[in-house]
Amino acid sequence: MNEAPEPLPLAGLVVLDISSFIAAPAAAVALADFGADVIKIEPPGEGDPHRHNYKSANYPRAEKQVNFPWQLDGRLKRSLALDLKKADARPVLERLIQRADVMIVNFPPATRERLRLTWEDIEAINPRLVYCSLTGYGETGPDRDRPGFDITAYFGRSGILDAARYEGGPPGLSLPAQGDRSTAMTLVAAILLGLRRRDRTGKGGWVGTSLYANGVWANGTSAAGALVGAKLPPRQSPDRPRNALTNLYRTRDDRWLQLLMVRDDRLWVPFCKLIGREDLPADPRFADREERKSYAADLFKELAPIFASKTYREWESILSGTGIPFGVIERLADVVVDEQARHAGIFADTGNPEVPRTVNNPIRLGFATPRMAGPPPTIGQHSAEILRELAYSETEIAALKKTGALG
Amino acid sequence: MADSSLPLAGLRVLDISSFIAAPAAAVVLGDWGADVIKIESPDGDPNRTIMKDSGNYPKAEVNYPWQMDSRNKRSLVLDLKKPQARAALDKLIAGSDILICNFPPLVREKLGLSYEAVKAANPRLIYASLTGYGETGPDRDRPGFDATAYFARSGLLDAQRYEGGPPGVPGPAQGDRATAMTLVSSILMALIHRMKTGEGSWVGTSLLGNGLWSCGVIAQAALVGAFLPPRPPPDRPRSALGNIYRTSDDRWLQLTIVREDKLWGPLCSAIGHPEIVNDPRFAVQDERRRNSAALATIMRDAFAAHDYAYWLKALGTREITFGVISRPQDVPDDAQAVACGAIVDTAIPEVPRTLSNPIRLSFAEQRLANPAPALGQHSEEILREAGLSASDIAQLRAVEAIR
Repeated sequence: MNEAPEPLPLAGLVVLDISSFIAAPAAAVALADFGADVIKIEPPGEGDPHRHNYKSANYPRAEKQVNFPWQLDGRLKRSLALDLKKADARPVLERLIQRADVMIVNFPPATRERLRLTWEDIEAINPRLVYCSLTGYGETGPDRDRPGFDITAYFGRSGILDAARYEGGPPGLSLPAQGDRSTAMTLVAAILLGLRRRDRTGKGGWVGTSLYANGVWANGTSAAGALVGAKLPPRQSPDRPRNALTNLYRTRDDRWLQLLMVRDDRLWVPFCKLIGREDLPADPRFADREERKSYAADLFKELAPIFASKTYREWESILSGTGIPFGVIERLADVVVDEQARHAGIFADTGNPEVPRTVNNPIRLGFATPRMAGPPPTIGQHSAEILRELAYSETEIAALKKTGALG
Repeated sequence: MADSSLPLAGLRVLDISSFIAAPAAAVVLGDWGADVIKIESPDGDPNRTIMKDSGNYPKAEVNYPWQMDSRNKRSLVLDLKKPQARAALDKLIAGSDILICNFPPLVREKLGLSYEAVKAANPRLIYASLTGYGETGPDRDRPGFDATAYFARSGLLDAQRYEGGPPGVPGPAQGDRATAMTLVSSILMALIHRMKTGEGSWVGTSLLGNGLWSCGVIAQAALVGAFLPPRPPPDRPRSALGNIYRTSDDRWLQLTIVREDKLWGPLCSAIGHPEIVNDPRFAVQDERRRNSAALATIMRDAFAAHDYAYWLKALGTREITFGVISRPQDVPDDAQAVACGAIVDTAIPEVPRTLSNPIRLSFAEQRLANPAPALGQHSEEILREAGLSASDIAQLRAVEAIR
């Protein structure tokens, strides 16, 4: 089979990524992965502050400092350094908007108004544009102008951190940009709905989402419960489970194995056989589902020493293929060499020797493969090239550079 | 009937999936106008009873998780294990645009539901597949749940813990719902592809892939050999000014003071310890870091002396930056949750409010949630629409292939 590869689904689309940090730029990455021409507009000089995040104390450190987060969130983009606060930059921006299909912004609403970057400001310039906005807390309401980060808006405000803890313990932890990256997939969906509508009607429009709404959506089961007055029971620590069959057990080599036997109506008897405890099903305390829950503490006492007697690799081979759902609490060091992760298309090679592998976006398509990423752009690397595409002359480009509008 | 101006109006979706991630993607498509037919086995989707079955669900009189994950769907009971059901299924596939499936690959093959097996019935069909761990590889047939595949296998839970403590705690279906948005995106990509080429296609995602995408920063770090340092517990933080503190009413405040130079003085006055401003142990940032355990002890006792409401005011009036750690029960009364469109009204009397999906569009409103279907509530109606005669339907009923 030597068919020419089909064009990527978003080939031909021009995306203006006028956003910073992670959630919104990560959505632009996903569009670029599938063929869109993404132009990142950043302030001259410093650029997107995310370029410097790898130095943050909350970020992982390597012996040799490489800018790995920028590889991830800047890949396949072209950088145009344009100072939107300068009046000279406005005509350049408008010319870009005229030929763009999608524009992504994440300034808080008040900043957007100041920079004349609201959808109302932009619509007249290109009514076919899909204008996508990300906020921390929504476009209106008392907190619309509060700067939103994923730890505060997605995790703290939504109730996730409060719920993600053991009884009596401190709130849960979130990881750098964890909520940002989930939110990026919602932005992608919103943009694609906007494009679909444009294909059908010829009209662009505003689409968007907020970190807060995404946190609440992820926390949807608990939040929907809260809406009808139901409260999440506190999660008892692993040695005092409410259900011993959906619990964490420490293995002999001090790792954790997560048993997740939701269908214990079917799996209880085979499970007992597997662990060499055929006597347990006959025990009246563990005879049926309700009993097993009532006697969860007793059942835990039976199971904990059994799990502690073998390493987690041993447990993995014992339980695999039995239909009994379980998970190991995997460590990232192992994940990056996990054969299954390779099968699931989770990591991809890059053309950047400094960061030779990266994290794919999780969308898989039977008809297209995400583009391979080279090194991410330096600040303003493509400024002149992009302006030439907009029919600016060399003299005009030089003049813009001189005013500082163009970097 | 959905409003024809909704962006997905006119599309028909077969939701042949169970539990949460894949059905939630079908919910989102329904919210934006698609006609979603849920095909269930005679036992029904186990998500119908998960609130009762799982010890980790908030309990209520009403089946709120089922309402949320099945709103605006119609239910058809079709026993795909019965050979007589196949002709009806093929007719449904022929008249549909999207099929969502989350059986593990092996089960799919047994039921004749792989993409290769169904595309003959409709080459324009978009087949959306959700797996726990991917379509191939040693674990492709391992049942995947979000706690195992999205959270544990990805390294998320191992990283989400305090030094020496047990792994982090995922919320019920938290990874499932995030994954649903990826599945929606992949389906929309396929619709664009179909509009350009006229062809259907396979698309999909995995819970594992989504877990790793969400912790992409640290996963990308691991790929270059960089790892997060263990997070010290709140009683011995690296910085006492970037730490969490418990209030007298057992709530938590997350101090996020970046501008220490500006806020150190106001903080000392807020916590009622103006005398420590010039204490040599704490007077400058380096010293505060060096003596963070001693400072954390003073602050812990100070925060524990007043309730949450007191601190909101005491910190707020001094413009001291902090993050709110809401409890789930606070969210329904949060005006901002309504303002950002997270919480909406329904047409379901016993569940008057629900969560909208997080996508907002200027040109369309999500459909109002109507009650989730009873098992097999629409079997007859759907099969008639698919062109089955009354006697076809009666025969299927006789062999218990439908209900």
